[in-house]
Amino acid sequence: MEPEAQGSGTSLIKTVLWLVVLILIVGGLIIYGKKGGEEKEASKEPIKVGVMLPLTGDGAPYGEPARNVYLLATEEINTAGGVSGQPLELIIEDSKCNGKDATSAAQKLINIDKVQIILGGFCSSESIAATPVAAAAKVALFSPGSSSPDLTGISPYFFRNYPSDASQGKVLAEAAVAKGWKKVAFLQEQTDYALGVFKAFSARFTELGGTIIKEEVPSNTIDFRSVLSKLKTANADAFFLDPQTLPVAERVFKQMQDLKWKPVLMFNDVVGGAPETLATYKDLMEGALTAEFTADPNNPKFTKLLAEYKTKYGVDLLYASSYGPTEYDAVYLIKTGIEAVGNNGEKFAVWSRTVKDWEGASGKTTIGADGDRIGGHTLKIVKDGKAEVMK
Amino acid sequence: MDIVPQLIANSLIAGSIYAILTLGFNLTYSTAKFIDIGFGVETAIGGYSVFYLCKTLGLPLYFGIFLGLFCSGLVSFLAYRFIYKPLRARKASGTVLLIASLGVLTALQALVAILFTSQFQTLSGLIQANRVFELLGGTFTAVQLSIFCTVLILSVLLAFLLKGTLFGKAITAISDDEEVAKIVGINTERVMGEVFFISGMIGGLAGILIGFDTGIEPIMGLSWLLAAVVAAIVGGIGNLYGGLVGAYLLAFAENFGIWKISGEWKMAIAFGLLIIFLVWRPRGLFPR
Amino acid sequence: MEYLTHLAVLVGIYSILALSLNLVLGYAGIISVTHAAFFGLGAYTSAILTTVYDLNFFLAALCGVLVAAIISLFVGTVLSKFRGDFVALGSVGFNVIVWSVFLNVQELTRGPLGIPGIGRPNLEFGIWNYEFSSNVSFLVLSVIFVALVYFLCQFIEKSSFGRALKAIREDEEALQVFGYRTLHYKLAVFVIGAGLASIAGALFASYITFIDPSTFTINESIFLLSVVILGGLASNRGALIGALALVLLPEFLRFVGFPSDIAAQMRQVVYGVMLIVLMLYRPQGLVGEYKL
Repeated sequence: MEPEAQGSGTSLIKTVLWLVVLILIVGGLIIYGKKGGEEKEASKEPIKVGVMLPLTGDGAPYGEPARNVYLLATEEINTAGGVSGQPLELIIEDSKCNGKDATSAAQKLINIDKVQIILGGFCSSESIAATPVAAAAKVALFSPGSSSPDLTGISPYFFRNYPSDASQGKVLAEAAVAKGWKKVAFLQEQTDYALGVFKAFSARFTELGGTIIKEEVPSNTIDFRSVLSKLKTANADAFFLDPQTLPVAERVFKQMQDLKWKPVLMFNDVVGGAPETLATYKDLMEGALTAEFTADPNNPKFTKLLAEYKTKYGVDLLYASSYGPTEYDAVYLIKTGIEAVGNNGEKFAVWSRTVKDWEGASGKTTIGADGDRIGGHTLKIVKDGKAEVMK
Repeated sequence: MDIVPQLIANSLIAGSIYAILTLGFNLTYSTAKFIDIGFGVETAIGGYSVFYLCKTLGLPLYFGIFLGLFCSGLVSFLAYRFIYKPLRARKASGTVLLIASLGVLTALQALVAILFTSQFQTLSGLIQANRVFELLGGTFTAVQLSIFCTVLILSVLLAFLLKGTLFGKAITAISDDEEVAKIVGINTERVMGEVFFISGMIGGLAGILIGFDTGIEPIMGLSWLLAAVVAAIVGGIGNLYGGLVGAYLLAFAENFGIWKISGEWKMAIAFGLLIIFLVWRPRGLFPR
Repeated sequence: MEYLTHLAVLVGIYSILALSLNLVLGYAGIISVTHAAFFGLGAYTSAILTTVYDLNFFLAALCGVLVAAIISLFVGTVLSKFRGDFVALGSVGFNVIVWSVFLNVQELTRGPLGIPGIGRPNLEFGIWNYEFSSNVSFLVLSVIFVALVYFLCQFIEKSSFGRALKAIREDEEALQVFGYRTLHYKLAVFVIGAGLASIAGALFASYITFIDPSTFTINESIFLLSVVILGGLASNRGALIGALALVLLPEFLRFVGFPSDIAAQMRQVVYGVMLIVLMLYRPQGLVGEYKL
């Protein structure tokens, strides 16, 4: 311990110095904020749209490709003449897949950058926490990735073009019963999306007389072997894999191969819409049931997105079947919306409810009065490494 | 079907990875006497080096692994040379060193994420056929078998290094009493630097093996490190071979816990084990 | 301005956390990496009581304090059996276990879905009803709480209890020789710290209006530890400065023009390097008096 008397004189000076530094920081923020406000006055300035994404922490694997998709779409729009002649500018903030950072990011975007529309959040936790902030400031919040059923009708200022979890669980439960399956082994990743799918599935499946043996694993799990061994001994009619992301699914499939376990499979749309994964684990997949909402892999906008992403970033688009197309569509929907009603959060949110059969990379988008994407999942069956629509 | 043989196999696989990490962790702990959280990031550095060298640049595998081990060793050495060494020279407490090493982990894993993105990667594409073996009702792959063998080889190598060489005797002397070791003419700083290099290499090796078996991501370090620390404490912290026992015990507890309790409590089981040991046997199974 | 008000509220909540952790870490010398667990216990207790049972915020926060106090009494008793760095590791264990409970006991906590739609605090006296719905009014409320906690901490520091704690931190055995029941002193301060942290949790839940387990991980505990260490150990002023600096640092870095593709990760690099530099050149923190 330092002698108190000796250090107190210098430490006081240092305290004062640090306080000065902090005041400068805060002052800088205010000045920057004012400057941001003035910039907005000029009409030739770009249209600023806020973006909230998880760029660090556990959510970063989704946030990075999303950012790339947003930038790609923005670049396309701007080279094609922008939005009503003005270029589109994205202001990207890290919301770390949690409520606290999402509210901070939303406050910053709304009050410093004066945006009218925020693209995000990605995680449902981000959207749920940021919605009150956006609603209070009359700013529209548009999520291409949050699927929690809690977001349905949460606020007139929130809407999404990613479907709620509820639809696919129900579709799959009914299909399983139709197949005559009585007992399903279920592996769920502990995230809000996967839990939502499970809830919808189990509600319908048990209602129809089925039983479920369920195991949950935290998101950072990489060793599934014992969980799989346990589910294997349950001798269920089918094994439902309910992950949040594709890498988790691939780890599970690889470890299933290592364990030489070949059950009848079911999985959510994360896996169902990943053609490469289906092809890689072809022998495991035969006859597997899945549900998808991006119905058409031959959609020209979808194939264009895949090709351009590959050209620009040199890697394949991740989450190509799920978030990728909705993210891409979201930027174009914002363009369409601003051209229709101007860069105004309130009007844009009202306009969003009028979107009907809008053609995009994720198929036809229709937004309902509760802010949810209308149109459920289509049941598919995997044959020879390809998902086909089941009759 | 009987699940037990498979669970035993699973526990042995998981335990072997923990064992490698625990060896590396105990090596620095027994000499430098602080909990080096930065050790966790060496797994990501080793794994991503191989990923970059072999998958992106297409270098031969053995060359990539060699360079990957060197990189993780070097990073560990540099962290010692420029951060831990000056701190230790000032007689900083274990907590100060722990927090500084936390800074090392945070900064380096973010750098890895900048260089290679946060996406989950595997190295399993680098080897063609990963054969699946079956033994007494449990299955395991060739990679997993080699992980198990790595533990054996590494333990024998370390035993030889510590017992049979002058360098090893210097390490033992330092871990017994650093001041005395200095007085009898051991260049403690140099030895310590080498210890950090070797422990970094071991961390990198674990990361590479994890990459082949399951996969790597930039923020993997902390959770693997915590597993190693739990294993080290259970086995008797600072005791290299006690750590091996601790690693397998932890793996068995986790995997059988999944069977008897439930998968979602795996982390709670691991840390429950830690607390039980800290309460009833704070110096571990094999105190040094 | 709204953004600054928002940041001020966050600084307030983290000040309470820092002040309470400083009691445990700075005055009692217990290296606790489980503070986020008590933060979370307060948040979850008050969130569940206000949303499901429609209890008033202030009563719910009080219940949160009780829950945190009871659990911390148990945790503290166990931790008091450990020595040195093992205290830190054992406390990591408790944080993981409490986090697992938040994630897994879904009947109560809704697990990964989190608890949405938590209301803002309101005061009711007969017909008079005031809700702290605007951020400015919430700021006033949190400033009041910070002030109360600050004065409580100052009082503890100046009291004979605080002096005994400092003495225990420096030489526990000597105090035992003088007949002090050092275990009781340390336990008492641990429980007080946990109770105060749970108040911060209640404020946090009602301010953000949504909580999920991801906020209460070890990473958050480590963050809180660095807040206290940056500000300065055994200094209440230091705790406030630490909270101010570390809550604002990432926000400030939003304005530093890193290229967008690495900005977020660069913030983590800056944070890590800051910890290293701090340990190398000023391990007692900015205004602290006690070196780790």
